[in-house]
Amino acid sequence: MSIIERRPALEVEDLHVTFRSPAGDVQALRGATLTVGRGEIVGLVGESGSGKTVLGLTALGLLPRTPHPEVTGTVRLDGEDMVAASEDERRARRGSYITAVFQDPMGSLNPSMRIQAQVAEALGGEGEGDQSELIHELLAHTGIPEPDVKARCYPHELSGGLRQRVMIAMALARNPRLVVADEPTTALDVTVQARVLDLLAGAARERGVALLLVTHDLGVAARVCDRIAVAYAGKVVEIGRAAQILSRPRHPYTVGLLASRPRLDGSIAGGDLPTLPGQPPDPRSPAVGCAFAARCPVADEQCAAPAPVVLEEGRRCECHRPGALETWPLAPLRVRSGEPVGIGHPLHVANGSIPIPALVVEDLECHFPRPRRHPLASAPEPLRAVAGISLRVPAAGSLAIVGESGSGKSTLLRAVVGLLTPTAGTITLGPGASPQLIFQDAGASLTPWMPVGAQISERLATLNVPRAERAARVASTLESVGLPAEVAAVVPRKLSGGQRQRAAIARAIVVPPALLACDEPVSALDVSLAAQVLNLLCELRATLGIALLFVTHDLAAARAVADEVAVVKEGIVVEHAATEQIFISPQHPYTRELIAAVPDLAEAA
Amino acid sequence: MSLAVDRRVTPVAAVAAGKPESVGGPQPLRLRLWRGRPLASAGNQRAGVVAALIPVGAMTLVALAAPLLATHTATGVTTIGPLHAPTFSYPFGTDDIGRDVFSRVLYGIRESWLGAIGVIAVGALFGGLLGALAGAIGGFVDTVLMRLTDLFLALPAPVLAIAVIASIGPSLFHTLLALSIVWWPWYARIVRGEVRALASRPHAEAARLAGVGRVRLVVRHLVPGALAPVIVTMSLDVGNLILALSSLSFIGLGAPPPAPELGAMSSQGLEYLFGHAWVPLAPAAAVALLALAANLIGDHANRRLDKG
Repeated sequence: MSIIERRPALEVEDLHVTFRSPAGDVQALRGATLTVGRGEIVGLVGESGSGKTVLGLTALGLLPRTPHPEVTGTVRLDGEDMVAASEDERRARRGSYITAVFQDPMGSLNPSMRIQAQVAEALGGEGEGDQSELIHELLAHTGIPEPDVKARCYPHELSGGLRQRVMIAMALARNPRLVVADEPTTALDVTVQARVLDLLAGAARERGVALLLVTHDLGVAARVCDRIAVAYAGKVVEIGRAAQILSRPRHPYTVGLLASRPRLDGSIAGGDLPTLPGQPPDPRSPAVGCAFAARCPVADEQCAAPAPVVLEEGRRCECHRPGALETWPLAPLRVRSGEPVGIGHPLHVANGSIPIPALVVEDLECHFPRPRRHPLASAPEPLRAVAGISLRVPAAGSLAIVGESGSGKSTLLRAVVGLLTPTAGTITLGPGASPQLIFQDAGASLTPWMPVGAQISERLATLNVPRAERAARVASTLESVGLPAEVAAVVPRKLSGGQRQRAAIARAIVVPPALLACDEPVSALDVSLAAQVLNLLCELRATLGIALLFVTHDLAAARAVADEVAVVKEGIVVEHAATEQIFISPQHPYTRELIAAVPDLAEAA
Repeated sequence: MSLAVDRRVTPVAAVAAGKPESVGGPQPLRLRLWRGRPLASAGNQRAGVVAALIPVGAMTLVALAAPLLATHTATGVTTIGPLHAPTFSYPFGTDDIGRDVFSRVLYGIRESWLGAIGVIAVGALFGGLLGALAGAIGGFVDTVLMRLTDLFLALPAPVLAIAVIASIGPSLFHTLLALSIVWWPWYARIVRGEVRALASRPHAEAARLAGVGRVRLVVRHLVPGALAPVIVTMSLDVGNLILALSSLSFIGLGAPPPAPELGAMSSQGLEYLFGHAWVPLAPAAAVALLALAANLIGDHANRRLDKG
């Protein structure tokens, strides 16, 4: 084999990317090193702000122009330098050497072009006769049913999963050397996610195309990757074979990342997920020493110096004390779970002994009218989003509703908290303050122009708490969700994603409701933050006796907070059992499918 | 000169179409799959603010200080006679009856600029109030208020101005009144659309769940979100209004002579365009300058607020 043929598909060496802006320079990458071999699948895993996306974009030559990026270091694509290349050269390489699959297929597809025209563009053919055979073949190859029909569709006529398959077909159309896939399945439903991921990896392997899979989810990387690279604060802190990284991580950050993921075999509703303390370093301040030292349980004085590169067993790790940490230490819990909570709580006791359930839902139906096909058509059958659901959440209990988008789980939640009026059925709430809802997007659930404190104290105002007491109540509530009291004076924009979700939780519990409904409260958060929020919910349940109704698509997250799980599909509960029971012996095939779709680290390692 | 005072769709539509401030710390990277116009760099941006503010500031200053800056009165006849070419003490010369064009233009700027701002303020306040009501209450009230708005939108400004002036006599105030009547519906539409869009967003639902009362919900959680598009529209509107005012007085529907109105001055001076060009060109240039200054600030506000 000649030297030329052994050139890796992508070589990134000591890559620095700094965005220059008047608000200060942001160091997105601070010396990242990564290699993707020919036909190899490498997962680049990191939390938001780790620089993983910037690395992918730099390889593609698609860095945004503003704020102005300054790139130093080496990015070689198939041996050819991408940093020094002109924009025209980069464009020439995109499409033939390197292509991309992004998170949002709707945003990446042209809404006004038929699928076949877009795939034809990706093929690079301009008027080279009839390509439809080739296009249909490509689409069929990525698992698109009836490719000849779908090729004539516009993007909005396809489901999210199909759109992403089209993107994959386009990315693979010209057999590039490398595909950069940035969170390709994050926007999809769990079961679809697993299928699309397998398909992407399978197609890449079959064609010998190398794949750089950028993701926040270790489970996703574990499912398909040969090697896994872990990004932190603009560096690749550890890279090695997938099994090695998952079973014997050397870098403490990798250990923490692995530990903080809710697991399918973790404790149930324990509130004891290990969490990474603190926050990643500010990308605006220059790095001194090891960037992870401030959060590292085994950091010592030598960590004040820049971390050395340690090469061993074919893996690369940037750490002073690789392998010093084997298991992430558990944070001391303020409240240990497992105590008999809620029962005996004054709010929930009626007639001395029997607690009134926090929520009883009986035969709930929520219908939405569908538009007529044309003005003279008879009214179509309404959409039965919730088609007869009965549930009960005991006082201080915790029930997870698990299902995919369109299953009616969010509609159910909105009906329970009173945001929509059900078509039929009854909802009986336990005594206490009105139920509160935690939204998926905490940022959107806080009014952008109002200080957080003012929004929290609005609930106090409606319950006639004297004005003088409100500030103190707000401060103590913020503290109980782990935020400093100063946050009260700040508008939501100034907070990080995790802080915003805590602020939203603070508003919900400043007057403890009998029932706290949560709509995918952690699916928009990074793994370590998600663990903190899940723990917080468990803790609040224990200390305040708040019952939880937790809607999620993620069975592992459900396991971390709920005593019972109800699996919903097409508006009905297909299985309802104790959490343990669901995992040990799922009865319904759909439940089994959901469990199988959760990317699990144990089997990959 | 065009009579059209109907307004082009401004980029505000993009804001009004429901792209309220994005909350969130670090913004996600915008992917650029195709090459677009490179956005202004940091240094350019600051220069842009100054470049947009200086003309507007200067025009406002001129408008406010016109009585101090003017060398003569607006209506008084000077001693050097009619149609005198510009000199040092008469920078724009004199018009057909010997009035100082420079002083008349200054007073004209004052009336146009302040008049435009007045109409916009009235329109934004009245329209905004109606729009907020319609958006917040919804249902029947919304339908009635919005059909009313459509009714006023359908009225052509010149026709309405003719009607108003025919019934209550010509004056600058009546022209402004006529313009205010056709101007507010735009603001009603923007605010109503914004409030309705915001009302279905999670932050408004969260506030409702927190037990926030209806009035407070609208005032604190919805209306502030409509401010950005309203401000953008207001700043872009100044230019439109100055043109509308001038157009109306050009065809004789503005302040009656001898009031120094820029449009009327251009129109009456038109016959002297060849030979005594300063008579129509000085006021016309002032209209152009005012509209330019207003549009600069409007574009700037649009870019700033659109970026969020």
